Amino acid sequence: MYSFEVERPTSVADAAAALGKDEAQALGGGQTLIPTLKQRLASPSVLVSLAGIADIKGVSVDGGTVTIGGGTTHGVVAAEAGAYPALAALAGNIGDPAVRNRGTIGGSLANNDPSACYPSAALASGATIVTNSREIAADDYFQGLFETALEEGEIVISVKFPIPEAASYQKFEQPASRFALVGVYVAKFADGVRVAVTGASEGGVYRWSEAEAALSGNFSADALDGLTVSGDDMISDLHGSGDYRAHLVKVMTKRAVAAAS
Amino acid sequence: MDKFGKSQPVKRVEDIRLLVGQGRYVDDIAPVDALHAYVFRSPVAHARITELDVRDAVDVPGVHAVITASDLDKAGLDTGMAFSSAPMRDGSKAPRPKRPILAEDRVRFVGEAVAVIIAEDLNAAKDASELIVFDYDELPVHMALQTGGPALHAEVPDNCAFDYGLGDEVATAKAFETAAHVVKLDVSDNRVIVNSLEPRGCFAEVVEGRLHLSFGGQGVWGMKGELARVLHLDPADIRVTNPDVGGGFGMKGMAYPEYFVTAFAARQLGRPIRWMSDRTEAMLSDNAGRDLTSCAEMAFDENHRILGYRLHTLSNLGAYNSQFAQMIQSHLFSRVLTGVYDIPAAYMRCEGIYTNTTQVDAYRGAGRPEAIYLIERVMDRAAREFGIDPQALRRINFIRPDQFPYPTIPGETYDVGDFDRVLTRAETEADLAGFDGRRAVSKAHGKLRGIGLCYYIESILGAPDEDVKVDFTDDGGAIIYVGTQSNGQGHETVFAQFLADQTGIPVDRIEVVQGDSDQIERGGGTGGSRSVTVQTNVTLLAVANMVSGFAGFLAEQAGVDAADVSFDDESFRITGSNVTPTMLEVAQMAREAGRSDLLTWKATAKLPGRSFPNGAHFCEVEIDPATGATHVEKYTVVDDFGNLINPMLAEGQVHGGVAQGLGQALSERVVFDDEGQLLTATFMDYAMPRADTMPMIRFETEAVPSTTNPMGMKGCGEAGTVGAMAAVANAVQDALWAHGVKQADMPFTPQRVWEMLKDAGHKP
Repeated sequence: MYSFEVERPTSVADAAAALGKDEAQALGGGQTLIPTLKQRLASPSVLVSLAGIADIKGVSVDGGTVTIGGGTTHGVVAAEAGAYPALAALAGNIGDPAVRNRGTIGGSLANNDPSACYPSAALASGATIVTNSREIAADDYFQGLFETALEEGEIVISVKFPIPEAASYQKFEQPASRFALVGVYVAKFADGVRVAVTGASEGGVYRWSEAEAALSGNFSADALDGLTVSGDDMISDLHGSGDYRAHLVKVMTKRAVAAAS
Repeated sequence: MDKFGKSQPVKRVEDIRLLVGQGRYVDDIAPVDALHAYVFRSPVAHARITELDVRDAVDVPGVHAVITASDLDKAGLDTGMAFSSAPMRDGSKAPRPKRPILAEDRVRFVGEAVAVIIAEDLNAAKDASELIVFDYDELPVHMALQTGGPALHAEVPDNCAFDYGLGDEVATAKAFETAAHVVKLDVSDNRVIVNSLEPRGCFAEVVEGRLHLSFGGQGVWGMKGELARVLHLDPADIRVTNPDVGGGFGMKGMAYPEYFVTAFAARQLGRPIRWMSDRTEAMLSDNAGRDLTSCAEMAFDENHRILGYRLHTLSNLGAYNSQFAQMIQSHLFSRVLTGVYDIPAAYMRCEGIYTNTTQVDAYRGAGRPEAIYLIERVMDRAAREFGIDPQALRRINFIRPDQFPYPTIPGETYDVGDFDRVLTRAETEADLAGFDGRRAVSKAHGKLRGIGLCYYIESILGAPDEDVKVDFTDDGGAIIYVGTQSNGQGHETVFAQFLADQTGIPVDRIEVVQGDSDQIERGGGTGGSRSVTVQTNVTLLAVANMVSGFAGFLAEQAGVDAADVSFDDESFRITGSNVTPTMLEVAQMAREAGRSDLLTWKATAKLPGRSFPNGAHFCEVEIDPATGATHVEKYTVVDDFGNLINPMLAEGQVHGGVAQGLGQALSERVVFDDEGQLLTATFMDYAMPRADTMPMIRFETEAVPSTTNPMGMKGCGEAGTVGAMAAVANAVQDALWAHGVKQADMPFTPQRVWEMLKDAGHKP
């Protein structure tokens, strides 16, 4: 680890100001950033910890929407987002207890790891990412591997999830990291079905539109039988070829539909 | 008084200390003023070094020295690391390419130590490391496990380190000519990274002119000899210690370059130096395990009796010879070459291959799991090809109880065994009769279920001789000095328990001392499942001497014949007297009488022969054909370990051994890319077995006491691993066989299993 300064603001405004400094880096739960720093793969001059900002923590329910503060840990979401059971279940199965007690939803969405769980939930739910300067629809937010619509210094304040009629997230875990080798989030709303896939594509989290179309007409696993998934643009690594991931996309989608039905 | 009683499942006395953070591992006890050592390692797998300039690194504030091969050379540390050579088939001597402590003109694997920075703190050392100028011309790499390819060592142009043979090649060939059936199988045995919970580490200091090296190891005396040889020191000027050690598994049984450089630097700088590996560094530089491929053939007569067995193995050694590497897949493998079967003719050949990878050496079982994995895969395949029950084929070929003592082809003598009895018990414990029902339930859930058997035998290795010393201390207790070394197995409990059993000394008055070359003159350390047999064997002798010495003393005091004094494991009895002193009380009487000669008891003893633990593992797996995910659903072990001192600790050894076998079989997969970069260099990519990988293990014993030691024991430290690999692999093969997969090799990662099914045309 290289040396750096640490700032611990208690308000979003102070955090935004601190992030204006040269080579400043926001620190959420640190579940990705701290190991990166330990390996000397990053050298920010200032780490701005968001952990002390009470305003961006907590879970609230308002009508058909669950709002989760950006600084809320996975463990808290698992325990308190019961109004949206599939989301709570997803949070409760990220990493292990130590990760869930540190890692935050804002950190996960800002990092947009192609194998992370949360991006699929946000995309499939049609969530809105609220920052200190604007609101971004999930469809516009995710822009590729580790790429998002966030500008320099922009902070995820909260995420608003519309609660679907039915939903399920099915993760096939990479055996070592237990990140998603392929994870599929299916959410059924009154006006249609949304299917988001994480872990699989070289383009990061994406919506599987053919499956959405098939399921919107017939919300059953059988509706997917005729579909094929190409391995061409899938991630290929030592844990799974593109073809294997493509195969798993369909398998996990079917299982998600079955679990949500 | 807390008395254990013989063969009781006593809980480990060291656990509280270890669990509450009171363990004293090497990184906990390094001197507070020690400087930190950090190793600059090769970033490439094969290159000629053109420039190594450390001047800028030395200038970093806080840096005391940067040590390279040329510094070692100037100081006369030029002999390189020690290693043993396997005998050659043709009687010739194979070349012995030097393994330098720090890279000299070439680097040969990613992670090879090139320079060592000594600094006030680790950050300064890492800063300095980034300023080392290391220029090189890359050379083509040799990654394939085969002879030929780009040569790593000029004196070994075909990369073949040795060519070992054992058995009667001609007789075996004849057996194959007359065979009714021949079963042939190519089997690979995947490389694993050992990943002890505590990585390697050491510190060195000079105390009153003597070098003290403390390291996480499996014994101190071998390292002491190596330090004396490499540093040209008088052994009397060296003290080596092993504090608490968090797992060794064979990997910590050897000397490593870092220990020599740390010791050298401590002497040069006159300051204590500490070095601790991080996890990725461990993955790059710890000796790996397994990594071999074999072509095995077995010849049978028309009644399915084995006529002959032959195999040809290629053993990956990595870039250099580690200390025992050449012996693992040759001599050690051959100890149980023919398993539990009565095989009239056999021949094995093993070639050692240099590749641009980290060294490979002993890993839990060291050659014996590999040998058993191979023969048990072959037996399973043979049963499938013959269409007969795998247990039946084994029974046809078991060495029968009336054949013991049974001389084996590799020259061992199996003293006792009752394999049919153990297997019968295992069939019952595993509820073999209910398997078809369980398979039907799995099928109803869309899963493929399979069952696999491994009937293993182990040969207890390591030095057969051991020393012990028991001191009666002034505070009224006793200290037992042992030559073995706990790596976490529970020796403190077992050796105290055994001495308490034999002498009646309360266990809480017994201290176990290990791992200090100043306090213990010599010993064999831990390895080869040797500890409990060798140490208790010699302890028995010391206790016998103690009893007769004390009896003589009491007789003298009481004015009776020595024959009138007896000892009943609790107290002495003197004919005609109602005084019944305990061992500690007699020691106190001796102390008061000025008889200090009775307060220290030393003994040396050699085991009359090896013991051969054996047993049956039944594994049941369930495979999800849609994903390839394999899960172990049921696991049963019935072991013949002979007599046990502490059944609970023995079972714990089996649990850990099975976990390591399951890890290798299911998830542990080492991947290098084409340039020799290790892709699985963190736990994000290298999958260790976890709690949810492990089934509940049913463990039972069926004892046939060994006749080669007075306790009737057989070692148990490695047996779990020896049995587990083939049990899992045969279970996966069983699940997949009916779906067209005729060859299923470890590791059974989801993608690999899915591909096996896909390639066989399986439609989920």
